[in-house]
Amino acid sequence: MKTTFKEENTKYVMYFEGRLDTAAAPQTERDVQPLNDCMGHDIILDCTKLEYISSSGLRIFLAILKNAKPKGSKVYIRGLNEDLRQVFAMTGFTSLFEFV
Amino acid sequence: MSRILTPHGQQLLNKYLRLLPQMQQLKDTVHQQIVDTLHEQGVELNAIESRVKSEDSLAGKLERKGDKYRTLEDITDVVGVRIITFYTDDVDKVAAIVKKLFLIDWNNSVDKRKAHELTSFGYNSLHYICHLRGDGPLSGIPFEIQIRTALMHVWSAIEHDIGYKGAVQLPPEFRRQFSRLSGMLELADDEFSRLRTTMSDYRRHIQALVKSGKLDEVPLSMDSWRSFIEMHPMSRLNQRIAAVNQAEIYPASLMPFLPLMELFGMQTLGDVQRMIGENIEGAYQLALAQLAVTDLDILSETIGLQNICLYYVLRQGMGREGVLKVFEAINGKNSYNEALADGIMAQVDSLPLKGNS
Repeated sequence: MKTTFKEENTKYVMYFEGRLDTAAAPQTERDVQPLNDCMGHDIILDCTKLEYISSSGLRIFLAILKNAKPKGSKVYIRGLNEDLRQVFAMTGFTSLFEFV
Repeated sequence: MSRILTPHGQQLLNKYLRLLPQMQQLKDTVHQQIVDTLHEQGVELNAIESRVKSEDSLAGKLERKGDKYRTLEDITDVVGVRIITFYTDDVDKVAAIVKKLFLIDWNNSVDKRKAHELTSFGYNSLHYICHLRGDGPLSGIPFEIQIRTALMHVWSAIEHDIGYKGAVQLPPEFRRQFSRLSGMLELADDEFSRLRTTMSDYRRHIQALVKSGKLDEVPLSMDSWRSFIEMHPMSRLNQRIAAVNQAEIYPASLMPFLPLMELFGMQTLGDVQRMIGENIEGAYQLALAQLAVTDLDILSETIGLQNICLYYVLRQGMGREGVLKVFEAINGKNSYNEALADGIMAQVDSLPLKGNS
């Protein structure tokens, strides 16, 4: 699992690549720390190269959302493949995030 | 800007400069005490502003009328806080809270709302001159608290911009126009307050009907829907779905489902209740078909109602279009919804769509 953080046009973008499963979750949790400093910057979670997400991965996404909301930042998910979209739908998570 | 001050005026200005750090501290203390207390009391504000008068502004005042003030403490608005409420009722409520928090100097405080002659116009706020309670180091410095509504604030800002403070210097041809405007704002303030009271009564009435279970008497509206979902009507279904994978349920609002209920033609909460009852088993079966083959152990609180809506449109024969509408209502319009609708349609064959059970 690989993550890359970039600032793009005042937005904080985190790129996810590979499988975000239980084994990868602890390191990914540390890797997404820069997003905690969003302070009004909108966040994009780019999942174009994300192949798989487990419940642990969903929890990481939720933690990012929970941290961002009180700071006035919006969290967008970008580039989910079809399988991952179904995961978000069957857990009801599509109503929690915004998708671009 | 350089000012020409009398020696006495200069003395007062020097004292101001010496006391400036304490006055800044006083301003912050008062501001925070007000914010904390109003938050505790559940009073929502339009804004709260605080400031220490600038050196230039004070020097200007001393230049114009420095002889009027014997000591710096006689200038009661060097430290000032302005509390702007949404409603006129809240001006009195905030005033009561301020009276409890601070010592009020009644000789110098004025309720400008009551100060107008019947024939005069203007639209003003409540001004209290206060001191901190107790005998701490800041308690000797007076400060002014102004309390006004947002509309009063607008009036005051425009009055300041136009440059006519009070009626005296205003040419007679404009007096009538000003009077009409101030009357209109005063009326609007009263009407907003009345509207809030009426709506609170309505909400209490709706809540009582929902609690008593008379759902057929409750029209579907934002308020009634809120009261309904506060009763957690989906919790049993959610728990049943969660049990499939021993999942955790993440709290989420069901408010976004209201437009969907309206789209389904639900008129009352009774209609909604029946719709839920008729589709609850199918919603569970849909969740079971999806989740049992995964190890997903976290679900949004919306999952039960989402599946009820999906199952409802399928049973109504609304097909893919109906499913798409459900996702659009919940998620907003985005390119993902089409794929989500296709995903649901792929599972239709495994669902008991003909019967209720």
